[in-house]
Amino acid sequence: MPKSQSSWQSPGVKFHPTLQRGFQRGVNQLVNAIRPTLGPRSRNVVNQPMIQGKMPEFLDNGAVIARRIIMLPDRVEDVGAMYLREMLWKVYEEVGDGTATAAVLFHAIYDQGLRYIAAGGNAMLLRRHLEHAAQILLEALNGMTRPLSGQPALAGFAYSLCQDADLANALAEAFDVLGAEGRLEIRAGRSQKLVLELFDGLYWDGGLLNHTMAGYASSKILLTEPAFLITDLEIKEPEELVPLLDLACGAGIRSLILLATRMSDKALSLLLLPANRQHIQVVPVKAPSDSASLRECLEDIAKLVGGRPLLAATGDRLEAVRLENLGYARRAWADKEYLGLEAGQGDPRQLRQHIAELRRAMDRADEADVRQHLQKRLSRLIYGSAVLWVGATTPVALEARQELAKRTASAVRGALHEGVLPGGGVALLNLKLVLQEKVRQAQDMDEIVAYKILLKAVEAPLRTLLTNAGYRPETILAEMAHCPPDHGFDVMGGEVKDMVQAGIVDATSVVKLALGKAIHSAALALTVDVLIQRANPPMGLKPQ
Amino acid sequence: MPTLVVTEAQAEDLVYQLAAPTPWGRGQRAACFAARMSGLYLSLDGGKTWETAYRTLNLTEPLPTLCVALSPNFKQEPSVFAGYNGGVLRSLDGGQTWENSLFSAPPPAVVALVASPNYAKDGLLFAGTLADGVLYSADRGAHWQTGNFGLIDMNVLCLAISPGFEIDRTLFAGTQSGLFCSQNAGRSWREVALPIGYEAIISLAVSPTFAEDGALFAGTETQGLLGSTDGGQHWQQLGQPTLSNSINQILLSPDFPREPHLLVLHEGEVFISMNSGAHWRRWPETLSGNTTITNVLTPRGFGSGAPVLIGLEDGRTLRVLA
Repeated sequence: MPKSQSSWQSPGVKFHPTLQRGFQRGVNQLVNAIRPTLGPRSRNVVNQPMIQGKMPEFLDNGAVIARRIIMLPDRVEDVGAMYLREMLWKVYEEVGDGTATAAVLFHAIYDQGLRYIAAGGNAMLLRRHLEHAAQILLEALNGMTRPLSGQPALAGFAYSLCQDADLANALAEAFDVLGAEGRLEIRAGRSQKLVLELFDGLYWDGGLLNHTMAGYASSKILLTEPAFLITDLEIKEPEELVPLLDLACGAGIRSLILLATRMSDKALSLLLLPANRQHIQVVPVKAPSDSASLRECLEDIAKLVGGRPLLAATGDRLEAVRLENLGYARRAWADKEYLGLEAGQGDPRQLRQHIAELRRAMDRADEADVRQHLQKRLSRLIYGSAVLWVGATTPVALEARQELAKRTASAVRGALHEGVLPGGGVALLNLKLVLQEKVRQAQDMDEIVAYKILLKAVEAPLRTLLTNAGYRPETILAEMAHCPPDHGFDVMGGEVKDMVQAGIVDATSVVKLALGKAIHSAALALTVDVLIQRANPPMGLKPQ
Repeated sequence: MPTLVVTEAQAEDLVYQLAAPTPWGRGQRAACFAARMSGLYLSLDGGKTWETAYRTLNLTEPLPTLCVALSPNFKQEPSVFAGYNGGVLRSLDGGQTWENSLFSAPPPAVVALVASPNYAKDGLLFAGTLADGVLYSADRGAHWQTGNFGLIDMNVLCLAISPGFEIDRTLFAGTQSGLFCSQNAGRSWREVALPIGYEAIISLAVSPTFAEDGALFAGTETQGLLGSTDGGQHWQQLGQPTLSNSINQILLSPDFPREPHLLVLHEGEVFISMNSGAHWRRWPETLSGNTTITNVLTPRGFGSGAPVLIGLEDGRTLRVLA
């Protein structure tokens, strides 16, 4: 085991060229483990189980394969492998796909870069030119992007990712209706089938504050034209509710959703009194339980239904409630877990401005989790939602299919948002024209070399894909050289065709991220000259 | 020069919308409908005389009818749909008898109705409502359901459907805050970016050759007329400064764009353009400036001598010859 070896027990400092050779060997091990999974005719990687006697794990995802490889025996090799692992995991977290492409690109750039540096090239200058080239190439990819729309195109794209026709069709139907921002939940089904449910309206986690309100006959309370009072105040005394009840009854309101963080039993009992329920049905509902986004959630619901929330931060009191605090919807419902509404009556201009601001914030955000959080908020503001119930024959298969559904859904959403590129490695290959022009214009040797490195690198994913499918890359590339742009080799059909017309496309977000991350990471790695090693570093399983 | 022949009909209320089947009959077969504050009215003589279409409903008080739509194949299938604050009334016999379509509570206020150009085969109808978004029926108006995925603004003021709907499945909804487009037969909607911000769109018109020319016109509440020639991706304001305020109705000549004639209802007056909206003049010149027009019907286009029905704010309906 690695920890028993003396190399791991003693600290040290490694220098060039030992460092680079070891780093490269580590990278090579990781890339060679991931390489077979690239393309539609790829192979699996098997992971030996931690516990003897258990079934080995079959892996086809580059980031997961990288994650399984920890603590290579040689410390320097391990650093190289972990460096690449970190990059691949970031790609996976952000877009859920493209890790094998990123690995192959990284390897091609790093490998050629090392040779240039060994021959006397300047690593820092090379890095600068590579990073500058990355910007140019990403813009060129933007120029090639086309929108993805229509159920057939969505189904084709989803199928290319998951190879599961039923899943692809269900996701295509869902996203054709929901769009890039709509809410789609993927849950484990109760049967073996795949079932897509589409819902009018919007819903939030929360549910009834008092479960007995749901009654025994039905699990859901339905309200017609209810008013809404949204607050983050805790309601302790029944007296706090009296002004609200008087106000609502005086305004002719027959039903009211009271969204609050907490309500005492005493206060609840006032609402449940038959005498009060005769005049107005008040349904207390839990505000969403994640307090970090409570304010945002209340703000979002208020934009949908109108009205001004009562907030502790602004010194509001329930006793001082006014009509302007109330919002409205055409229909609402609540059960033990959720609150839902249809056709909120808030100002639509304000709602659209709010949505536009969230979209802008999402475009500006650098962190994947920030974007995901904003995406979640948007999905609860754009009318309509869906649940995809995923079924399978065994619990293990169910878990795998659910995971596949989530990854595919994430990729489809990204493709809807940012568009698609010709697939099968063709988009990257099309960048050769840009790079060749840049070579012609380049001023110095480091710049020329940077572009030439990338010229070779952009071919690498296609070559790998062809090799995995059993084809000779040189033969196919020679055939493709005489074809118009966007033409590539369909490894399933065994012929050259227009990839976009054939529905063989890749999400622009995935290709851009894979290329960008690979270039920047490889460029940075080329500048590493010294490695400082710790004695007995603690073992970490998860990428940081 | 248009010739004005005025024939007034007795009425006491606001005309919301006029409708006539296509092709329009002649003489006694020239049927048309007027959706008014006091109900739906039917004329069988080209708008000269009117009678209530709700005779068989035995109403005890007037039923304000906010919009009316006819089946495109009216001659073979004389269906009439009337939108009111409560839902849609349906007649399958040209307005003689009526039945109420069922909606879930609370009942919607229907202010716009359009039928699919392919109605004879698909039986599709779309209803724009004031607070419930867009509803659609796939069974000739018997049953309705909501089609609001992606429709952020539920206050729909007008609808327009692509003439090539059978293939492109496209329709547009004008709302209180702007324009939305559906390209999957109303299953879901996407925002259409306009150069004027979040402005109410109160009228729409789609070119008869939309599939080829992408021509689309949108009337705003306060900023005049917008036109697009690429299916709504890009827009420009037309007719400024003449058309600077509300555009309540837009009509295109049946031979648009070969005959690039547009009619708009701007601030209670009709304006006509003979060149796709570049230049405008009041129309017809002989109509008194004191009358506020609320709706215009040109069942045979704008050609010389073609009959034009004009609904007024004071409830009268004028018949004019262009």
